[in-house]
Amino acid sequence: MSSYRCVFLMGVEQALEYRVSFFLSMLSAVFPIIIQTTMWNYLYRHSDAAAVFGYQQGEILLYTLLATIVSQLVSTGFEGEMNSDIKMGGLNKYLVRPVGYKGYRFFRFLGQKIPRVMVVAPVMAVIIGMAFWQGMPVSAGRVLAFLVSLGLGLILNFSIFYCIGLLGFWLTDVDKLFGTISIVLTVVSGGVFPLDIFGGVVETLVNLLPFGYTTQFPVNIVNGRFGWERMGVGFVFQIGWIFIFVCLGKYMWRHGVKRYAAVGG
Amino acid sequence: MGVFAKYSLMSALEYRINFVAGVTVEMGWMIIKLLYVAVIYKAGTNIGILTPDHILLFVGTYVLMTGIYMLYFGNFVSLPGMVQQGELDLYIVKPVSLQFLVTMRRLDFAFLLPDFVAGVAMIVLGWHLAGLPVGVVPIVGFLFFLVCGCLLTYSMFLLPYILSFWIISVGGIVDISNALWDFNNMPSMMYGKWFRRIGTYILPVFVITNFPGLFLMGELSVWACAWGAGVPVLFFVLSRILWKFSLKKYSSASS
Repeated sequence: MSSYRCVFLMGVEQALEYRVSFFLSMLSAVFPIIIQTTMWNYLYRHSDAAAVFGYQQGEILLYTLLATIVSQLVSTGFEGEMNSDIKMGGLNKYLVRPVGYKGYRFFRFLGQKIPRVMVVAPVMAVIIGMAFWQGMPVSAGRVLAFLVSLGLGLILNFSIFYCIGLLGFWLTDVDKLFGTISIVLTVVSGGVFPLDIFGGVVETLVNLLPFGYTTQFPVNIVNGRFGWERMGVGFVFQIGWIFIFVCLGKYMWRHGVKRYAAVGG
Repeated sequence: MGVFAKYSLMSALEYRINFVAGVTVEMGWMIIKLLYVAVIYKAGTNIGILTPDHILLFVGTYVLMTGIYMLYFGNFVSLPGMVQQGELDLYIVKPVSLQFLVTMRRLDFAFLLPDFVAGVAMIVLGWHLAGLPVGVVPIVGFLFFLVCGCLLTYSMFLLPYILSFWIISVGGIVDISNALWDFNNMPSMMYGKWFRRIGTYILPVFVITNFPGLFLMGELSVWACAWGAGVPVLFFVLSRILWKFSLKKYSSASS
């Protein structure tokens, strides 16, 4: 376990390497929030948007504020490194050492998230506090359920992108493919807009597929959109999808590593 | 420029899968831009004097301008690495403008293609649905402000990358400048008066994609037209001065 602790701390150090750059990157997340809150405020002031989109103004504004933060928190970015490990032979050192590759990736991923969590946790607390002050149905139970679902969302997104990274065993040039997948998944996870505003088939798909459970589900818990029953169903889906992707990851690793040629390294 | 375009195109045709992958990445980003249009059409409301059809034209302009920016964006991204690893040495000795060579040597047609097709389609559709005038003056004026927007984009968004001559990690500043670009996802009329003024006269991002559409609608005053034509030149001169000044700081590290 101590080796994983080292990997975790290494991830923290890496994230804090260029501090000014890190904080400016965090600040850049504010810009899309400004664009979207301005847009929603405008639409709700000038049309019957609550009836059209099915969200109350407070719900959608809280969604906009939190979804960008949650989306950044659960985002990965290690799939390119995994591909490089597979292609350049970097995987060799994990195969001969008593360290599991998935464990290494997971703890490093968690370590890299810590500085970000330390910055956004107070911001989220202020946002949720203000929502409570504005009379939204925020309670201690909801906040707790939100934190649990956020943790599960983080694990789910890691599991999804771990599987995507393992595609490197089979595909030749996947760097740009990772870019496409990452953008598309940000959209379908509700990182830009809650996709259930489009209703019908889109809403059903969002509820069934795993991606919404990384961002849209946690945020809709805290903004009061979901009742306890809907939350329970959501948690079942979230845990179920984690189980599926963990199994898929194991299966892909077992078969992929047999194809691994250990070039270079 | 023609030679660079020819070699970039040959390279794109040589590595076809890479080209297709580039197209899909850009299409992914386009989905986000189209989502905004979908939300506006679903709400069915106007933004100021802009109907959803006008907004389609504005977002189309933004998509097209993004494609043109992405055509040479990769050169901007590789500039900090070139400065830090001393790779500029190779280009400095060549008898061509260094700034031109470094910022235009590689053109990514894979990013341009989807944005160009979708952007032009949205502009034409928005133009038609909104019932905007079709004639020599509107078309030439629209194209003129598009060209001005291209020059302004190049000059303004090069500035943060030039800072790489001074500081090691420009990642954060670059993230902020990219986020600034996204303010054009919606027409400037949606924002408050002061926000609009800052975005037009201090950090003129709104000039890039709003002025062509506003010209078509006859909403640009003579003063605004002059600003739209002059500010790209102003920023281009600024980028040239800053480039030449920063180049003196280049110490040819490593190599």
